[in-house]
Amino acid sequence: MHTKKGKLFLTTEFYLLLFLIMVLLFLGMFAQGFYSLNNIMSVLNTFSYILIAAIGMNMIIITSNIDVSTGALISVVCLSIAAVGKIGVPFAGLLPLAIVIGALLSTLNALLITKLRIPAIVATLATAQIFQGVLQLMVEGSIYDLPSSYTWLAFKAKLFGVMPASILICAIVTAISLIFMKYSRFSKKIYAIGNNAQASRLTGISVDRTTMITYAIAGALFGISGVIIGTAGQRVTTTMGTGLEMTFIAAVVLGGTSTAGGSGKLTGTIIGAFILALISPAINYLRISADWSDAVKGAIIIVSVLAASLKQRKHKRIITVQSAYAAERQA
Amino acid sequence: MKNIKVKLTFNMALLLIWIVIFAGIAIVTPAFLTPDYIINVLLKNIIEIGMVALPMTLIIITGGIDLSVGNILVLCCVLGSMAASAGGNWMGLLVTIIVGLLCGLFNGLMIAKARISAMVATLATMYLYLGIARGISMGLQKKCVYTYDFANFMGNTVILGLPLQIWIYFILAILFTVLLGMTSFGRKLYAIGMNHNACQYAGIDTDKILIGLYTLCGLICALGSFIWMGRFTSVKYDAGTNFNLKVITIVVLGGTSISGGIGDMRGTIIGTLIIATLNSGLTVLNIPIDVQTVVEGTVLIIALIANAIVTRRSQKKRIIKVRSVSS
Repeated sequence: MHTKKGKLFLTTEFYLLLFLIMVLLFLGMFAQGFYSLNNIMSVLNTFSYILIAAIGMNMIIITSNIDVSTGALISVVCLSIAAVGKIGVPFAGLLPLAIVIGALLSTLNALLITKLRIPAIVATLATAQIFQGVLQLMVEGSIYDLPSSYTWLAFKAKLFGVMPASILICAIVTAISLIFMKYSRFSKKIYAIGNNAQASRLTGISVDRTTMITYAIAGALFGISGVIIGTAGQRVTTTMGTGLEMTFIAAVVLGGTSTAGGSGKLTGTIIGAFILALISPAINYLRISADWSDAVKGAIIIVSVLAASLKQRKHKRIITVQSAYAAERQA
Repeated sequence: MKNIKVKLTFNMALLLIWIVIFAGIAIVTPAFLTPDYIINVLLKNIIEIGMVALPMTLIIITGGIDLSVGNILVLCCVLGSMAASAGGNWMGLLVTIIVGLLCGLFNGLMIAKARISAMVATLATMYLYLGIARGISMGLQKKCVYTYDFANFMGNTVILGLPLQIWIYFILAILFTVLLGMTSFGRKLYAIGMNHNACQYAGIDTDKILIGLYTLCGLICALGSFIWMGRFTSVKYDAGTNFNLKVITIVVLGGTSISGGIGDMRGTIIGTLIIATLNSGLTVLNIPIDVQTVVEGTVLIIALIANAIVTRRSQKKRIIKVRSVSS
C-alpha cells in the first residue's frame, strides 16, 4: 500500500526472517553449545519432518480448509510401517507404503468435506478421534524391538557421514513444492478456491476435485513426514503423532498464511517451520525447564498472528473507509 | 411433506435417538437403570462438559469457536489450587475466577479487536494456556495439583438427593435457554452468525458482544474447574486435551451449525444427554475405552451428515428467518 520500493521490506517473510536471525544470534550468545554439530543436525532433522508436513498443511489451509487429524494420521502411518518393518521390509518399501496410507486417509477426510459438505475443522476432529481409536484397538501400546533395517534412515543413512538423510528428502520435497506452487496451473486453482469457492466454480474449476487432490497430496506429504518420525527409534507407540497437527498449523500460520484461505507463500512456511523446530532445543540449551516449551510456542504464534492482523487491518481499514465514502456519495 | 416433518422436529428426533440409546442399554444391562447409577455416573460425569457446552453453543452460533475451553479449565484448576495452598480457601476461589475471566477476555479481545479468526486465536491460546499450566505445575516439581475445601464443596455436596453440580447445571441450562431464545441479546447472536458485517452496520456493537461472550465462556470454565477439581481431587496439566473436542461434539450433535447462524440450546442439552448416556452406557456394557472413542467420533460424523442435510433443506427457511429478524 506504500510505494512499491518498500514492498520487499513489508512482507511477512521479511519480518520473519529478521526474527529468525535475531533468535539465532541470541542463541549463539546465550545458549552454550547450541551450535554444536550434534545439535544442529538434530534441529535439522526436526525441521525436515515439520516442514514436509507443513507444506501439505499449507496447501490445505490455502484452500480455506484445515486438517486437525494430521497427528492421528501420522500415528497410523508410523504404526503401519512399523508393523511391516518388523518383518524386515527395507526403507525402500516403507516410504511408498507410508505415502499411500497418508494419501488414502487424507482423501477420506476430503470425501467428508467435499461430498458431505461437513466443515473441515469438525470433519477432521471426528476423523482424528476415529483414527486414534481404531489404532489403539489394533495395537496394544507399541511395537518394539524393530530390526536395524527399519531404523536405517535415522542411524545409517548419513550424508557425508554426519548429515541425516531426512534433510535430503526434505530438500527434494521443498524444491519440488516451490516449483509446483509457483508455476503449476493446479496451484493457481488452490489459491482461487481459497479466495472464492463460488466464483471458482463459475469459472469452471471443479472445486470438489481440486480439494480432494489437494488433500491427497497433503496426505502423501504427511506420510513422508510420518516415515521420518516413525523410523527414529526401535519402538513405535500409538501416540507418536499426537499433537503434531498443532505444530504444523502453527508453522503455516507463523509463515503468514491466512486461515481464511487464498493467500500464503511457501517461503513463509519454510521460515515458520524452522522457528518451530528451534523452540524445544533452544529452551533446552537456555537451561529453561522443557515444560515451558508449549507456552513459548503459544506465545510466539499469538505474537505473530497479532502482528499480521494489525498489518492487514491497517490495509483493510483504508479500503472500507473509501468504499463507505463512495457509498455515501452515491446515495 | 416428509421433509417438513424432519425440519420441524430436529430436537424431537434427537430426543428419540436418546430414548432409543437409553432404552437399548437399559434392556441389555438392567443395572444401568438404577437411580444411583444414573445420577452418580451418567449425569455427574458429563456435568463440566455439558456446562461449558452452553456458552460454546452461543459462541458457535456467532460463527466462532473456542478450542481452548478445556485448557482454560485446567489452568483454573492449577492456579486456583496453588493459590489455595498458599493463601487459603478464598484465595483459591478468587484466583480461579480471575484466571477464567482473564483467559476468556484475552480470547475475546484477540477475536473481536484484533480480528484474528476464532479458530487460530483459540488454537494459539490453547497452546499458551496448556503451556502455562504445564510450566507452572511441573516447574514446581509437582506432578499434579490437589483439591481444596471450596472445590470439595462444589464437587461433593448433595442437596435434596441430587449432587450440587446437577442443580447448578439445571439453573445454567435454564438461564442460557432463556438468554438465547427469549432475549434480544440472543437474536443478536444469530444475526452476528449470519452476517457479521451487516450486523455492524445495523448498529449492533458486535465487538462488545463477542468479547462478553468469550469472557462468559471463560467464567463458566472457571465454575466448571471447581467441580472438576472437587470430583477428581487431583488434576494434571494435560487433563483438558480431550475436553475441547467433547464440548464441540455435543454442540454440533445438538444441531448447531458450525458455520454459524443456526442453533438451539435445547438441542445442546439433549446432545449432552446423548453423549452422557453413550459414555456411561458403553462402560456398563464393558466396552473398552478405545471403542468408545471410535463410537464418539462416528456419532459426531453421523450428526454432522444429518445436520448438513437438514441445513441444505432449510436454506429457504434461513432466508425467511432473516426477514423475520429484520421486521
